[in-house]
Amino acid sequence: MTRRILASLLAALSIAMFPVAAAAQDDGPLRIEITEGVVEPLPFAVPEFVAEGAEAQQYAQQVSRLVAEDLTGTGLFREIPREAHISNITSFQSPVQFADWKAINAQALITGAVSYDGSRVVVKFRAWDVFAGTELGQGMQFAAAPDGWRRLAHKVADQVYSRLTGESGYFDSRVVFVSESGPKDERRKRLAIMDYDGANLQYLTDSSSIVLAPRFSPGGDRVLYTSYETGRPQIHVLDVGAVQSRVMQAGQGSMSFSPRFSPDGSKVVYSLTQGSNTDIYEMDIASGATRQLTMAPSIETAPSFSPDGSQIVFESDRSGQQQLYIMPASGGEATRISFGQGRYGTPVWSPRGDLIAFTKQNAGRFHIGVMRTDGSEERLLTASFLDEGPTWAPNGRVLMFARETQGAQGASSLYSVDISGRNLKRVRTPDGASDPSWGPLQ
Amino acid sequence: MRKSLYISGGAHALLILWVMLGNVFRASPPEVQMTEVSVISEEEFAALSSTESAPEAETEDPAPPAPEATQEVAEPAPPEPEPDPAPEPPAPEPEPAPEPVSPPDPVEPEAPPVPESPTDTPPVNAPDETARHVPRPAPRVAPEPVAPPEPDTTVAEETQQAATPEAESSDVAEEEQEATAPEEAATEIVTEAEEPASAPSAPSASVRPRTRPQQLASAEPEAEPAPEAEPAPAPEQSAPAETAPQPEPQSDESSDAVADAIAEALAGGGGSPDRDVPEGPPLTRGERDGLRVAVQRCWVVDVGSQAANVTVTVGMNMEADGTVVSSSIEMLGSEGGNASAAETAFQAARRAILRCQEGGYDLPADKYGQWQRIEMTFNPEEMRLR
Repeated sequence: MTRRILASLLAALSIAMFPVAAAAQDDGPLRIEITEGVVEPLPFAVPEFVAEGAEAQQYAQQVSRLVAEDLTGTGLFREIPREAHISNITSFQSPVQFADWKAINAQALITGAVSYDGSRVVVKFRAWDVFAGTELGQGMQFAAAPDGWRRLAHKVADQVYSRLTGESGYFDSRVVFVSESGPKDERRKRLAIMDYDGANLQYLTDSSSIVLAPRFSPGGDRVLYTSYETGRPQIHVLDVGAVQSRVMQAGQGSMSFSPRFSPDGSKVVYSLTQGSNTDIYEMDIASGATRQLTMAPSIETAPSFSPDGSQIVFESDRSGQQQLYIMPASGGEATRISFGQGRYGTPVWSPRGDLIAFTKQNAGRFHIGVMRTDGSEERLLTASFLDEGPTWAPNGRVLMFARETQGAQGASSLYSVDISGRNLKRVRTPDGASDPSWGPLQ
Repeated sequence: MRKSLYISGGAHALLILWVMLGNVFRASPPEVQMTEVSVISEEEFAALSSTESAPEAETEDPAPPAPEATQEVAEPAPPEPEPDPAPEPPAPEPEPAPEPVSPPDPVEPEAPPVPESPTDTPPVNAPDETARHVPRPAPRVAPEPVAPPEPDTTVAEETQQAATPEAESSDVAEEEQEATAPEEAATEIVTEAEEPASAPSAPSASVRPRTRPQQLASAEPEAEPAPEAEPAPAPEQSAPAETAPQPEPQSDESSDAVADAIAEALAGGGGSPDRDVPEGPPLTRGERDGLRVAVQRCWVVDVGSQAANVTVTVGMNMEADGTVVSSSIEMLGSEGGNASAAETAFQAARRAILRCQEGGYDLPADKYGQWQRIEMTFNPEEMRLR
């Protein structure tokens, strides 16, 4: 009897309460929230591009290979080896057998064709979302002289990267840097320029004088650098196309260094040492007019504009230790943004505008790191005996920097790392290399 | 007297039920952890208990330095498999170059004076070994850590489940599935700067070497420390792994039981069988978690991209066999980031949904009406900061 009463009470209660519960779950579609995913390279396939004509065969091979290398090199994608492919792409127009690509887990597929008419190589491509069974964007084609086939491949890779990530690529870009040869105590330095991946290296200066810190202009047509040609550091401007340079008259009887262009390319900010004091100045390139932006008895140097040109980040030892500060582009009160242990230097504002990359020295080791523009969320990406001078890829996704090994035989070379701290790798250069500056997309 | 007793008993029962049900509805957040653990315990428990000894070793570093030094020497075998998976992401390219980047680590003894002292060579080794301590950043970051596979096993082209993608390729899939192990995964991105987090302790490590040579000499032939070291971490890990799943199944059971009971009560009381689609009772928490886990295993997040700032909500219609009507997948809304980032985030979500459905998601057919239409929200916020 007792049990029956209790059971009926419970049953009545559960039925009475159910509408509330049911309403909570039954109202509309089933809703699920996903907050955990995986971080891993996205598998893609690049079957060899179709050669339209026997002469195009070689280019088809080279271009498709370089596209795959560009994408794989980002660390964001993983190529599925061609031996694993089930389908063969024999015609650029033929429909894609998505099931064959799904079976080998290719999430993206890049197909293309190359033709060569004796004077121009034409590359066309398409990118596909295999699991959705749709084309990503529209097919495109690029044309160039035969010796420009690498740029064609970089262009295709940039397009694919953009369609897969929603951000612009950085493959068709160049890097200017200081090429170094010889032992440490007798090192010869000269300016050099190369593709982002180390190909097509060219020297811009001879090694008769020491050169430092080259910086690309926003358009990639000029390079600022510091030279000891006259015995003391002076800023030079070099025209990349003509390979001709001239001295930038920054100030009388003083040392000028650490130059950098403004985002619109009309101004240059730099450091000027007069006596024992170093401050930051700005020069209008057209008129040559200069203006002092900082007026502190300490050392202020390494200025870098924000992408919108409204602010400048720089390093200063005004607090007694080298730290990072931000001030308005017109000068004025500076705000300190770095507060961690150790010394911070060579700040560079990201092209995206959200991060500032820097070199940090702490506990005898050097790091390349990034922080928000207010100094928060500092993250160190690398660590070594000597890492310095970060420069941003044009899309703000990758940093390149110089790493030097210890000892008398120590050499400097270039490395790149993703802003997530993954995919650290060495950039191929024939000799030693330092002071990289990544140019814009061409 | 009895009447009042019954009334009192009934009232108390009502109160208890009310509390239980109230808690059940509020306690949705803990779901997340529950299923994760249950997933680990089923398949990867064995792997975890055997291989995660490495991380344990790290934490113990400071205290028992000497024994571990020998332990590392005895264990160079396990770390070796790591290099195998590592070069994978960069594909079979000559990319291994990036790995050598770590050589600068040995350079780390930028405190050369110390090495100059009697223990010149050992300090050079010390950094090497501390570096090995630190679990190398696996190329894959997933909610559940997966230990590096044994040298003999082949790592699947992708995560294990993908081995059975389509019915068409059943031959290939079966072969792969039988012979492969889940790809190594860590739960966090470890940057090069974080790896030598124990680097500051390098000086203390450089002191160790004085005793090391003796121990190495004695340990190498005997190889005793290895067994000592292994048993230690093993129980530690197996214990939490065992205990963890236990409480959760319980809570799962209880919550599921309550949900089921309520659902059944309603079904008994008469539902709405008007439609030809079986409406059924609401999905239990376990069923919903099963779907969530299945999708999140395929959701690839590019943590450094602008798309990682976007939360997208995706709507889709389902077939009765658990497969997604791919043409019905649509972005219902997004939050954060620009249109391009939102589109990229949507594409990643769509790929996750389609890629992991295999032959259809495991959903109860008798409740088809409950999941005929699904809205999934992909929120990368927790992934972003890793």
